[in-house]
Amino acid sequence: MDTSVGISVEINGALVSRSVPAETLLIDFLRDDMGLRSVKLSCDMEICGACTVLVDGLPMSSCTTLAADVDGSKVTTVEGLIIDGVLDPLQQAFIDHGAVQCGFCTPGFILAAKALLLRNPNPTRAEIVSALDGNICRCTGYTKIVEAIRHAASA
Amino acid sequence: MRPDLLEKVSGKAEFISDVSIDGMAYGKVVRSTEPHARIIGMDVSRAEQANGVVCVLTGADSGLLTQTDWGLFYEDRPVIARDRVRYVGEPVAVVVADTQARAEAASRLVVVEYEQLSICATPEQALAGDAPVLHEDFRPISDFYFKGTARGQAGTNVFQDYLLERGDVDSAERSAQRIFEHSYSFPGIAHFAMEPHCAIARFDHAGLTIWSGAQSPTAVQKVLARVFGLPIARVRVIVPYVGGGFGGKASVKIEPLVAAAARKAGRPVKVLLSAEESMLTCRRLAAIITIRTAIDAEGAILSRTGDIVMDGGAYADTGPAVALKSAHRLVGPYRLPNLRIRARAVYTNTVPGAAFRSIGGPQAVWATESHMDEIAAELGEDPVDFRSRHLLQRGDEVIDNLRPLDVDPTVMMDAAVEATTKGHNHASRGLALAVTDPGILPVAGAIVRVHADGSVEVRSMSVEIGQGVRGVLQRIVAETLSQPPEVIHILDPDTAGAPYDWGTGASRSSMIMGLAVEKAAGDAVSKLLALASEAFELETTAISLAPGGLKLGDKTVSFGDLFHAAHGIDSGDVTGQASITPRSLDGKLAQAPLFWETAAAACTVSVDPDTGVVALDTYAGVADIGRALNRSAAEGQEEGAAVQGLGHALFENLVFDDGQPMTAMPLLYRVPRLSDVPADWTTVLIENGDGLGPMGAKGMGEGGILGMAPAIANALARDHGVRLRDLPMTPERVWTALSARKWHAS
Repeated sequence: MDTSVGISVEINGALVSRSVPAETLLIDFLRDDMGLRSVKLSCDMEICGACTVLVDGLPMSSCTTLAADVDGSKVTTVEGLIIDGVLDPLQQAFIDHGAVQCGFCTPGFILAAKALLLRNPNPTRAEIVSALDGNICRCTGYTKIVEAIRHAASA
Repeated sequence: MRPDLLEKVSGKAEFISDVSIDGMAYGKVVRSTEPHARIIGMDVSRAEQANGVVCVLTGADSGLLTQTDWGLFYEDRPVIARDRVRYVGEPVAVVVADTQARAEAASRLVVVEYEQLSICATPEQALAGDAPVLHEDFRPISDFYFKGTARGQAGTNVFQDYLLERGDVDSAERSAQRIFEHSYSFPGIAHFAMEPHCAIARFDHAGLTIWSGAQSPTAVQKVLARVFGLPIARVRVIVPYVGGGFGGKASVKIEPLVAAAARKAGRPVKVLLSAEESMLTCRRLAAIITIRTAIDAEGAILSRTGDIVMDGGAYADTGPAVALKSAHRLVGPYRLPNLRIRARAVYTNTVPGAAFRSIGGPQAVWATESHMDEIAAELGEDPVDFRSRHLLQRGDEVIDNLRPLDVDPTVMMDAAVEATTKGHNHASRGLALAVTDPGILPVAGAIVRVHADGSVEVRSMSVEIGQGVRGVLQRIVAETLSQPPEVIHILDPDTAGAPYDWGTGASRSSMIMGLAVEKAAGDAVSKLLALASEAFELETTAISLAPGGLKLGDKTVSFGDLFHAAHGIDSGDVTGQASITPRSLDGKLAQAPLFWETAAAACTVSVDPDTGVVALDTYAGVADIGRALNRSAAEGQEEGAAVQGLGHALFENLVFDDGQPMTAMPLLYRVPRLSDVPADWTTVLIENGDGLGPMGAKGMGEGGILGMAPAIANALARDHGVRLRDLPMTPERVWTALSARKWHAS
């Protein structure tokens, strides 16, 4: 049962039109077809947030989303946050505050934080906690991640 | 600045799961569904005929292997199960196909027929006289990875039986005024690294090359050389960025299996485990610890005994070292004139135990620091005062013949108390202290190569796993060579180019590899000066290094100028090389431990009386690290370790029910989240520059995990009147204890 579907997606600002097997997951489409390896596979069941991407500015787990479901949408990964070689303030803040250790969860955290700041540029700590509670980091203990996001928001 | 961070935030960092090799096929592991069984039949014919399948590796392929069983203390583990399985999750086949999806689909077509055997579900069952013996044939190997030999008892399930003794406990107990005894339990814990285990193996004319997220690449190299009958020189191990390990990728894990699949397939094979499969690959050893302390009429401790039984799972891995260290780590920073601690590790039909951040440490400190508070409560004394009366001082012996204590426990305790009670010394809080002796082998080598364009490559086997080792090595080399950090390039660990190093773990890399690269960079400096002396006909005393090249008196030349003058063309390089051994630093590294990794933790908690949910409100952790080589990375190690300790304390539990793993999947296994971490969090780093490492650094990174669980339990006992002795302190357990107390009180 090989059914393909045509999709048109704006990925990191570039329009991509492809035919993909209907069962293709967004994570596989982004990693294997688009070469966007910042999208990380970890729990594979939508509980850890490592595969988070932005779909029309909202965070979404790409491991449990079909590529076909983002047809007509804008998808952003951390590669797309870099404009003319300049890091997004969140990316810079994650570096400056040591909010990264192994780095495997980092793209998902940055994108979930980006979605928060897009709708709430000055979040309280409680709002940051609420927005990021679906992302797991096993290395940092989270304190420096919160510091980085607060700094990026105030910058 | 750490060179890895820019790559990691921008999505350019290449982890092992991102690596692709030409011609690569994909392997999916078929796993035992039985905790203990004979394999009486296996049908792989449907899988072999499935779309895209290259081959199916099974125990029938053992002829491909020169050595069919491997291990670190015992050669007890088959590369792939042959006629018997010993835990649910043990690999029984690997289906190799041209895509991951096809390998997964075909793996479901493998049919295995088992004949169940009676099982050892728990250590108690494994120790019983009529227990089935999991390994009839004991083949211990000595000084293979850790120093020493495991003391197992052939014909039983005990694979380590270690005794730590001092003085005469029996007469101390006979003369005691009071004796306190308590038992504590600690569950199996999953490492839960965000990147599951992954490896790629390729056999070609050059031998075997393996890309792996391995913390101990040279151990992988050594084991693979034996398994495949290859010279070590023909086994190459390459390690890109590793997405978390915490010991779960240390020693050797999936590499022999992946290489065997590649051998059979005749082409490169990648195996990427799912998160569940990683949880079936290794875990922290569970423990039951009984601890007894004798006190004299003045309230001074006369003696302590400990009985530690660890659940080692189906294969020993590094469990013997874990048990030994748990005995050492049960001692604590206290004057204990008489001591007898026995630590046993036993085989059970569960996921194999393995190293996990501070091996044996959290188990032992959970028991010993809960016990200290229980004694203080019985004596009616403040826990700070009770500890103070027994605290060791700098220079005291913790364990006979080991290096004297190189920290001040009083300073650490006071800092933790101060941070959580804002100066009110007797305000309420839970407290825990710990001292551990890292099992660091001071053996490492490094190469520092200076090129004509001024770029410098550093070859070392230290793995960047998030701790920031590349940043630390970059800083040390830059300072030694007087060059800006950005010209120093730390290459991916690759055994083809980098010298032997024991491994990345036990808080050793910044210290030991730091010393190795410092010495190798110093060797490069000597060679550059000698070359410049010849080329420019100057005394070496008139030459020094300067950013971009060398200073000759008041003139500056580039490295290109140097090679031009020396070689006639402006090309060439200078290679500095050095090794660290137990004889380095005039023998100062020979005595163990190289430093004491210590911890002080204090916290306050609140409890919802209706649900038993415990919330951490305030936490302070203190570490004496000698010198911070990268402050935010060092703080991050402490904070991350403590939050892992919070998982041990409140949530995490790998449950086995008659050998069946009940929680070995991310959905059912609760790790700490952001909402579990309080805003009121203090990390104190004590820096006296008194370590043996570069710039006076000691190792660090493990201590933070030690104190959290007992500190929370002690806060619960002190402020909420309930003493928990089993981890994790789940709402159910806390609510039950609160209810029992209310019932008792009414």
